[in-house]
Amino acid sequence: MGAAVAFDAVNVGDEVFSVPKVVKREDVKAYADASGDQNPLHQDDDFARSVGFPGIIAHGMFSMAHLVTALKDWVGDPAALRSISVQFRAVVYMDETLVARGRVASKDEGSGEVTLDLWADVERDGETIKAIKNSRALVRLDRK
Amino acid sequence: MPLNQSLKGKTFETIELTVERERVTRFAEAIGEEDPRFRDGDAARAEGHPDQLAPPTFPTVIQILASAQVVLDQELGLDYTRVVHGEQEFEWRRPIAVGDVLRATPRIADIYARGPNEFLVIEGEIADADGEVVCISRATLLSRGTAGGS
Repeated sequence: MGAAVAFDAVNVGDEVFSVPKVVKREDVKAYADASGDQNPLHQDDDFARSVGFPGIIAHGMFSMAHLVTALKDWVGDPAALRSISVQFRAVVYMDETLVARGRVASKDEGSGEVTLDLWADVERDGETIKAIKNSRALVRLDRK
Repeated sequence: MPLNQSLKGKTFETIELTVERERVTRFAEAIGEEDPRFRDGDAARAEGHPDQLAPPTFPTVIQILASAQVVLDQELGLDYTRVVHGEQEFEWRRPIAVGDVLRATPRIADIYARGPNEFLVIEGEIADADGEVVCISRATLLSRGTAGGS
């Protein structure tokens, strides 16, 4: 796998990925251990209820990791990733489906850099909720 | 109780982290990263990387150690039960690989209020053994309802 996407093949406004992931309790527990974030809000339902949630929630960084994996898989080359900025706007519960999404916002002909709008949705009670929104990444693509 | 604004710019103890294969593999598994370059040294080397790559959000591991220092600073006056992770930025200079020895000296980049909430920005420049910056991490923690206004 090299750079999978060429600069010239990308158009402003293109929705370039939409990747679902079911958020599983065992994965969130594994993420707590792997990342070192042992906040009980992500592991202990009784604690989560004591602070007003119906049950444990995923780490923001767990959701962001899914978004970044989707971005990296689209770009192809991990070294093409330049920067990312995300805002966490809603919590994500266990067994919800988080959909990581990206759209081309702008292209810089001179540098080969492409800016993407990023967000991540969950469907809850018939509504689409943006768990991550107002987020952007910069990648550098090869010409061909 | 509002946060202590005078801690803006304060730096904390340097964190050193050797990027170990077992930790990288565990991290990749936890986030569902199945790309072989993040699971296996040979697959990464086949593309010219020195060894198995760490996922792009792996610097989170350093950031959590950094945040722990900041959050526990008694002078800051942060009530951790009110804190949520509001925003996150990474600037990537190169992929991190197994065998990298990383160092970061976290600092409080900013403290500000917006409406009823306060925002605490923790920044870390993560450098390799040669002193080259490989990633800059910036976490914005949101302290709910502490802006006061007395």
